[in-house]
Amino acid sequence: MKKKGICISFLLFALFSLMGCATTEKMYYWGDYSTTLYAARKDANDESLLKHKNTLENIIAESGKRNLRVPPGVYGELGYIYFRQNNNDTAVKYFEMEARTYPESRVFMERLTQAAKAKNTKN
Amino acid sequence: MPNRQHYLFIGSICLMVLLLTSCAPKMVTKADKFPLMYEEMPVSILLLPPINETTAADAKEYYSTTLQEPISFSGYYVFPYEVTSEVLKMEGIYDAELLKDLSVTKFREYFGADAVLFTTIKKWDISYIVIASNLTVSIDCELKSTKSEQVLWSYNGTVVIDLSGGGSGGSIAGLIVKSIVTAINTATADYVPYARVANYRAISSVPYGKYHKGYLQDKEQKIVEQRQ
Repeated sequence: MKKKGICISFLLFALFSLMGCATTEKMYYWGDYSTTLYAARKDANDESLLKHKNTLENIIAESGKRNLRVPPGVYGELGYIYFRQNNNDTAVKYFEMEARTYPESRVFMERLTQAAKAKNTKN
Repeated sequence: MPNRQHYLFIGSICLMVLLLTSCAPKMVTKADKFPLMYEEMPVSILLLPPINETTAADAKEYYSTTLQEPISFSGYYVFPYEVTSEVLKMEGIYDAELLKDLSVTKFREYFGADAVLFTTIKKWDISYIVIASNLTVSIDCELKSTKSEQVLWSYNGTVVIDLSGGGSGGSIAGLIVKSIVTAINTATADYVPYARVANYRAISSVPYGKYHKGYLQDKEQKIVEQRQ
């Protein structure tokens, strides 16, 4: 009987400590972000850069499926990849999505949008 | 009438409380430590290129890949570092060292950032002592307002891993440690997981931002008081 009492109290304790941690459900889906970014940094080539771009696209798709907000900066980073590839219309589309998702990014996103549009008129 | 079982129950609870409190470091609430965070309520954070005080030349580049995620989970808008670092490079800013004593208000104008985050890599190395070797990653973080130019939050995250394993022979722990040691010897890559833990230790002390459920509700949450 004694043992049982101790056992129960320890179980309760364990349960409480677990409950304390359980409230941190994930706000965002970041997928393989840090892994593919790290690989691209370590060895920047067409393959590693493409993989990281795929990660960004996957984060956007998966966030939609899970009904989560796309993490900060993901639309903007993807837009910048298109910007560098001179695909300026697509770039502008993503900059706009970043600004719509996170109003506090608008100042910077508008700056990037202007740069993309300027490139378009030059070409 | 309380019986023996009750005493045992209460006794074991008391013991656990004692165990938890006895070795605890000095604690302070987030609101007492970082009152300016609750006053200014910054929403958007611009990560500046890390300042590297170590001799590991590649630490900076690898470390900077680890910050965006944890800060977003604390509820802040983080500007895409892959983009902002490029823009800063075009402006000739490769390192935040130069910015330490300069005004940061221009980052509000250009990016619309409420605050900038300075990170300093203090340690990123393995030290070999006669009987032991330790891997240490230590990061100082400092969040500075682009409005008031005041330091809103600063904290250190440090991780020390004992790599010696102490003659544990064929045990599983020994094997794991051995594989870590070889991995570290072969590639710098292996610092990154520890950098993530160091980040986590530092960033867990930051008051939650707008996108976190606990926004403005964590004033009484306790954190470890660090000596500056």
